Amino acid sequence: MRRLRALFIRLAGLFRKDPQERELAAEMESHLQMHFEDNLRSGMAPEEARRQALIKLGGVEQTKENYRDRRSLPVLETLLQDLRFAVRMLLKNPGFTVVAALTLAIGIGANTAIFSLVNGVLLRPLPYREPGRLTIVWGKDDLGKPGNVGYATYLDWRAQSKSFEELALYRSWAPVLQTSEPEQLSGMRVTNNFFRTLGVHLQLGRDFRPEEDVPASSQVAILSHNLWQRRFSSDPQIIGRAITLNATTYIVVGVLPVDFQSLISMDPHAGSVDLWGVLGYDASLPWACRTCQHLVAIGRLRPGVTFPQANAEMDTVSSALWKAYPKEYSAAGVILTPLREHLVGPVSTTLYILLGAVSFVLLIACANLANLLLARATHREREMAVRTALGAARVRIVRQLLVENCLLAAIGAAAGLLFAYWTPQLLRVLGAGELPRLREVTVDSRVLLFTLGVALLTGILSGLAPAVRLSKTNLHDSLKEGARGTSIGTGRGVRSLLVVSEIALSLTLLVGAGLLLRSLSQVLGVSAGFDANHVLTMRISVLGQQYNDNQKLRQFFTSALASIRALPGVQSAAVTSQIPLGGNMDRYGFHVEGKIHANPELDENAERFCISPGYLEAMRIRLLRGRDISESDTSTAQQALLIGETTARSMWPGEDPIGKRVKLGGLDRPWWTVVGVVGDVHHSGLDIAPTMQFYAPHAQWPFPDSDITFTIRTAGPPSALASAAQQAIHALDPTQPLSRVTPLDDYVGLSVQGRRFSSILLAAFAAIALLLSALGIYGVTAYSVAQRTREIGIRMALGAQEKEVFELLLRQSVVLVVFGVALGVATSAALTRFLASLLFDVRPTDPATFVSVVFLLVGVAALACWIPARRAMRVDPIVALRYE
Amino acid sequence: MGERADVWQGTLALMVLKTLQALGPLHGYGIARRIEQTSGDLLAVNYGTLYPALLKLEQEGYISSEWGTSDNNRKAKYYKLTRAGRKQLEKEAREWEQTTEILARFLSPGKESA
Repeated sequence: MRRLRALFIRLAGLFRKDPQERELAAEMESHLQMHFEDNLRSGMAPEEARRQALIKLGGVEQTKENYRDRRSLPVLETLLQDLRFAVRMLLKNPGFTVVAALTLAIGIGANTAIFSLVNGVLLRPLPYREPGRLTIVWGKDDLGKPGNVGYATYLDWRAQSKSFEELALYRSWAPVLQTSEPEQLSGMRVTNNFFRTLGVHLQLGRDFRPEEDVPASSQVAILSHNLWQRRFSSDPQIIGRAITLNATTYIVVGVLPVDFQSLISMDPHAGSVDLWGVLGYDASLPWACRTCQHLVAIGRLRPGVTFPQANAEMDTVSSALWKAYPKEYSAAGVILTPLREHLVGPVSTTLYILLGAVSFVLLIACANLANLLLARATHREREMAVRTALGAARVRIVRQLLVENCLLAAIGAAAGLLFAYWTPQLLRVLGAGELPRLREVTVDSRVLLFTLGVALLTGILSGLAPAVRLSKTNLHDSLKEGARGTSIGTGRGVRSLLVVSEIALSLTLLVGAGLLLRSLSQVLGVSAGFDANHVLTMRISVLGQQYNDNQKLRQFFTSALASIRALPGVQSAAVTSQIPLGGNMDRYGFHVEGKIHANPELDENAERFCISPGYLEAMRIRLLRGRDISESDTSTAQQALLIGETTARSMWPGEDPIGKRVKLGGLDRPWWTVVGVVGDVHHSGLDIAPTMQFYAPHAQWPFPDSDITFTIRTAGPPSALASAAQQAIHALDPTQPLSRVTPLDDYVGLSVQGRRFSSILLAAFAAIALLLSALGIYGVTAYSVAQRTREIGIRMALGAQEKEVFELLLRQSVVLVVFGVALGVATSAALTRFLASLLFDVRPTDPATFVSVVFLLVGVAALACWIPARRAMRVDPIVALRYE
Repeated sequence: MGERADVWQGTLALMVLKTLQALGPLHGYGIARRIEQTSGDLLAVNYGTLYPALLKLEQEGYISSEWGTSDNNRKAKYYKLTRAGRKQLEKEAREWEQTTEILARFLSPGKESA
């Protein structure tokens, strides 16, 4: 306590120095006088009395100094002095200050921004209770890949495994909310223990109950906080209220808290999940079978159980099941994916690469600043010499310079934080909307700490070399040399090293960006297999009593297509169960007559597109063999099937598939006859090779899809037709909600969004790096030119050719650039393999990219040297000689 | 002069407090003289340490100071023990006695109680 009190008084002492100083002087004076008088009284002569008193008092100044140290906090006091001085120095050189602070603001700002991204997406714990124990449990297929699970399997898993505290299931659900304005929502069907598994408590109402999670029970729903606010104006009486979803009445039993995030979803394009209903399965349902693998299992490990332990146990359980039901599994084993990895794993590589890139930018900024400071240090040598001569300790000088730098870095950091504050908005503009957990990207204490750390590190890193150099200044020489500028070449070694590393770092960034951009352009150059231009898409979920009959549903689509086709500007129109790149995964077992495995689960499967006639035309998908489906393929006609090129090649190599027969989705289903072969379309992504696909006529599929997408080829811009098309549908039935009315090329854009985002960011960083290093090269050349003005003057006066002098000036810079480029190429060759997973159709050591980047860099570097050298050449020899 | 020991750091504060307790309010010079006299001129008070020590005690709240007039009508800064100072003095004196007692037992083993 007493210490603390003293500390506060001393802190206060920082600010009221003068009165205390006077008081001390008076006290010393009175002390001296009293001693003097005492001495007189003891009989000394006045002279001697005064002398003795002074001797006894000792060094007054020393006493005062000791006293001052005690009075306030000397460390802080000198720091304040340094700070004040630093502010004065920076204000005195506004040009330098602005350039330096800007360089740092870019470096620190970019780092803070990317770190806040990494922090929000990767570092922050998932917003669930003890998220480290959550895991997705996949079944393993015969290729060793993770797959969904059937309900019967889940029941066995839950009964036989002991590793899980809870094991829940979910599947996607696209309900239509039919209160006032119908709206297509994104929902999930989950087992009753889903929220318990996540460890989420409801804000209002209660969780699902086990007795509700059975077939034909009364339907219950839980709302997201957002949906509750948006559609029910935060009605506190919502619990127990009935709402209509898909023409069925549901009772609202709960509302989730505002901070709950529905990160878990099956459809990446669907946006956040707003509604949860119970799964309501039991083992007797036909779609609860082991092969009905449309569910995802999520589990919470018991405390103390590790992932490998749980995986081993589940493997045993799964092997036993495989032995018991050999025809219902294609392989034994499970795959556990920790929830974290499942959610953010795919983007972590990109983010870490961006973080690496941005730290390169910071290093370059540091090198640049160090360079600037070194140049300035030469001018300040005399100042330092004077201060040293006046008794400043070396430590004190180094500290002074570091304080100046940290001040600069602090300015940079402040600007950087501003930048980070806007990061989420900026990222959305750049199209990072696909990134999971983007909502959590904010400036939190960790980001602040990171920025502070980076700023300090930057200040010290960039200031250390100049500071140490300055503090070593040879007193005698500097003072003597005086105004004539100091010895040429001091610090040149360090500066050259800095420029070489700048060039190397930017070259590496440029190569990385070049590779990503080339990949992007390769991906964009991939033919999707369809023509996405001038196509409007529009999704509809048809429901209601009147459409329970297949015939009526088909009739509705036929009339809807007829009225859309009648609209002016429509060239062709069709419906399909899913559109390419739409994010759906709808696959069916593909059992070819005569090639069916003993275990049908081992048969291939294929993407299913259930289409109306005219789909190939609307999408401009090529028909390679046979015929297209037509209006004559009715429900009573022979079942006709179109297959993709890959399907034809892998199922009937060297044979003509036309006329061959296939069963789809099970051996108990009827035969389909292949009537045509069409070109493959990219469904999972432009950068992912198409897999097997088939197209069945909507009129012949046993249960016509009610959730369907219109594809409308238009003459003009597709969005111009959007409202007319919606009106045409609503004229037929105003109760049916339309969603995702969007041009088809938006889906294509969405599919490359992540790739475009990382390419653009990396390219931006590379551009900044290039600019900074150009500045660095310019600075070094300009500086050496300025120092040699006199020499140039003499040479010119003595008759040297312009060309020779020019070469002389450039020689140094050329050497630096050559070294930098060599080092950069080596670094890039070593580092680009980390990019490999992000590249498409481009090798990490793509020679074309390397060569063009080297040319670009050398060109920019040449310009950066040429400008100052050129300027030096224009100098009149007379002026140059008089210089200094 | 050369034989006189400087006052050890740490004990100076105790001596100052004791002096102020014995003599009441006193100025720096007086405190120094008193310490020297009490020690039988065996100790020399270094003023370079005395004034910072006084300042430290004041900052810690054990003494307070105000300007006053000395016997010969000279302005001087007078230091005075505070209540906290009195307590601190008692505490430190007790500790000091304990320390010296322990040391004494070590140094004169004859008196050691078995």
